[in-house]
Amino acid sequence: MAKRKSLIKIKPKKFKDGEIVKVSFMVMHPMDTGTQKDKKTKELIPAKYINSVKFNYKGKEITNMTVWESLSTNPVFTTYMKVDGKGELKVTFTDSTGEVHETSKKIKPKG
Amino acid sequence: MQRRDFFKKLGVVAAATALTPTISFASGAKSKNAMTYKTALDAITGGKTAKVSSKVKLKTPEIAENGAVVPVTVNVDSPMTSDNYVKAIHILASKNFNARSIDVNLTPANGKAMFSTRIKLGGTQDVIALVELSSGEFLMASQNVKVTIGGCG
Repeated sequence: MAKRKSLIKIKPKKFKDGEIVKVSFMVMHPMDTGTQKDKKTKELIPAKYINSVKFNYKGKEITNMTVWESLSTNPVFTTYMKVDGKGELKVTFTDSTGEVHETSKKIKPKG
Repeated sequence: MQRRDFFKKLGVVAAATALTPTISFASGAKSKNAMTYKTALDAITGGKTAKVSSKVKLKTPEIAENGAVVPVTVNVDSPMTSDNYVKAIHILASKNFNARSIDVNLTPANGKAMFSTRIKLGGTQDVIALVELSSGEFLMASQNVKVTIGGCG
């Protein structure tokens, strides 16, 4: 299985403790709905889409999403988050075919 | 009598031609979680009525050239404290074969009730943002999006 590329982006790059920052999670994923046909073979492309996405910060779940197939390919999920000391932001997602993926980013507030 | 028969047959043929394309489309493009907008709305709210509110700000383009990528941003005016916060944001598309796009469960640790993503739209339709508050109330906002090329086959 090809390795999935994913990325966690935080805006602004430098932030202080207690600040509210924008967090985006991007992932390279086909998000096939299961109703499209292959143009060459004329067969249905099997469904493969992200089921759920979870944001964990310092071991606590802050955001949890249930996703259906009508999201775009290579989806982006953007929310806000309150910085509360040093810790790790962990993003986990599962796929309708059972694929599980995890990415993490260290959060270091300055000042 | 002949004239009557002719019209009868004509009626049958017209009805058949009108029905067949819709039937074949429905059976050909059926998904496991096909859900109409109404059933999706009932499943989320549980029979409660959702109020249209100016607190919910839905930002989408009015005309989307490509239905495969439609950016959607939902902003909710809320203090996000432990006893008054936004519990969930749901994004629905009224005419997609599965009307539910995404359900986002938020907590006070988010600090700000905002969510943004990109969705697929099968055709010109309404995009609806349904917001559940911690008090159990439902608020909503909707916008019509014109799609020139469908994206959700």
